[in-house]
Amino acid sequence: MSTQDDTNINVADGVDHQVAMVMDLNKCIGCQTCTIACKDLWTEGGGTDYMYWNNVETKPGEGYPRGWEESGGGWTDDGSERVAGEIPSREDYGRPWEFNHSEIMYEGSDEPLRPREGAEWGPNWDEDQGAGEYPNSYYFYLPRICNHCTHPSCVEACPRQALYKREEDGIVLVDQERCRGYRYCVEGCPYKKVYYNTVSKKSEKCIFCYPRLEGEGPDGETYAPACAEECPPQLRLVGFLDDEDGPIYKLVEEYEVALPLHPEFRTQPNVYYIPPYAPGQHTEDGESVDVDRIPRGYLRELFGDGVDQALNTIERERQRARQGDDSELMELLQHKNPAKQYRLGVFDDD
Amino acid sequence: MTNRRARALLVAALVGALVVSATVAVPSADARPAHEIPVSTMPEADLSTPSAPDWSRVPAADVPLASAPSGVPNAGDTSIDRVHVQAARSGEQFHVRLQWSDPTRNVTAGSPRAFPDAAAIQFPVDTSSRPPIAMGGRDNRVNVWYWAGNGATQELLAGGAGSTTTFQSPTVDANATYTNGTWTVVYTRDVTGASENRTTLDDDDRLDVAVAVWNGGNGERAGRKAVSEWHYFPTGEGAEGAPYQTLLWTVAGVAIVAVIGVTAFGVLRTHGGDGGGS
Ligand code: SF4
Ligand code: SF4
Repeated sequence: MSTQDDTNINVADGVDHQVAMVMDLNKCIGCQTCTIACKDLWTEGGGTDYMYWNNVETKPGEGYPRGWEESGGGWTDDGSERVAGEIPSREDYGRPWEFNHSEIMYEGSDEPLRPREGAEWGPNWDEDQGAGEYPNSYYFYLPRICNHCTHPSCVEACPRQALYKREEDGIVLVDQERCRGYRYCVEGCPYKKVYYNTVSKKSEKCIFCYPRLEGEGPDGETYAPACAEECPPQLRLVGFLDDEDGPIYKLVEEYEVALPLHPEFRTQPNVYYIPPYAPGQHTEDGESVDVDRIPRGYLRELFGDGVDQALNTIERERQRARQGDDSELMELLQHKNPAKQYRLGVFDDD
Repeated sequence: MTNRRARALLVAALVGALVVSATVAVPSADARPAHEIPVSTMPEADLSTPSAPDWSRVPAADVPLASAPSGVPNAGDTSIDRVHVQAARSGEQFHVRLQWSDPTRNVTAGSPRAFPDAAAIQFPVDTSSRPPIAMGGRDNRVNVWYWAGNGATQELLAGGAGSTTTFQSPTVDANATYTNGTWTVVYTRDVTGASENRTTLDDDDRLDVAVAVWNGGNGERAGRKAVSEWHYFPTGEGAEGAPYQTLLWTVAGVAIVAVIGVTAFGVLRTHGGDGGGS
């Protein structure tokens, strides 16, 4: 049973609590440590070479898999019916490249180190490209994992009920026993965060590192997902959306500065982003002008209309902090105490 | 008898023979009750491979297929509309051969968009009643023999759409070939291989059977498939298969013998007239 009767938190039916993550896009340096931490842990086996349960893409940009934002899936505007989706091609995910290591290392070739052939697209092909003209070009990094949605279209798409939301924490998983590799989940997820394992012939996805949450490691300790713990600038908060004493609840529900990506897909994501607030534009002479560097319309496309209010709130609170006033929001966005950053055990005694 | 009369008799006999032979030559599909698929008994035949020559002696039924009703996207977009079905017992083995044309050969599931061609035969687990056609029902389950072009052969148990489970150790073999745009798949199981949740193949007079085919190149998988209605194998009567078919062959045989007799008689009479000097 849900214990959330007295709050306005929208936790899915039959789910007790909902894990959530907030990522502050203003802190991401695009180092891909999160990507590698995840890959090392979960997607090193056969059939998973093209999978990145965590990826970091440059926006504006095609992303990974290429063009995922236009690949369909999710729900109609009133959330009642699923929208048809497509399975990305192997090329859209990108193939692993062969490099000329042996020629250079062992055969004395003085060619530059480069892929042998077929290097025409890859997960970070358009990294740091962005958009806009000098001196007002812009880009930012967008780390993405499965959103462990409250209304997941991947779950609904499976004709075998192989995908499900865990009752205790709302983590969305693929039951490997039930999956028969039909890939309706792959086309049904508008974020393209379910992947087909080409060797096991079953679908796989981010598991929110649930064995770490459950202390399944050798030391029996509880850990946040690896992508969060390994992030050098520590930009990810991990906890429960319905933990009203935690920073996630405050950022999402109270201050409304942490926003879901593409809310119009109607899956109700549980990964939230602090939108990027880049400096204003410059003139040719280097003068600052009061024009948004990252077009507001583009941010609305990504994060919905709530982005205006979110950026205004952040700006207002920054001013307060600058003037020496207390700002709980600025504290929340800056504090470095891991005990608060990762609030995982709060419902253990339920 | 005059020459004229004899000639008339001969013509009548020839016409009769033509009618009879036409009846016999028509594919046996028309000579059977609708939805029956004949089962031959050929104790010595080798029928375990798709191209075994003995298959040419086994009558085929032409089974129409249509898109299965299903909630998966594009369920109505299927591309295979008929399958030839042959069935035979040789010794202790039961063989079913499916043949259908599919211009693209899809034999891998090794890439995100690749789906293999596949085919399945469905039997009731409890042969005394007919389960719901779409993967059976909760109290009335089906046993499915599944073959896919990527080499997967599975024996499945289902009690309704989405409930398919795989038997740990399948007792069904499938062999397939693809030539000239046609898939030929032979399934083989021991007649005595029944067990819990495994269909008994020779229990009743009739064994209900339905067929499904997937064109992997068209993205067909799961409920997006071309399926038949329930058909049946006439498995009773031991050796000779369908009583109705046996009856037809008997009638045809009697007719042939009669025609030959009448013809010979007419010819004899004609010659007799000449020699006897009427
Ligand atoms: S992001 Fe996609 S895969 Fe993850 S829960 Fe939502 S719909 Fe499912
Ligand atoms: S580890 Fe952190 S900073 Fe590095 S790319 Fe991932 S989210 Fe961004």
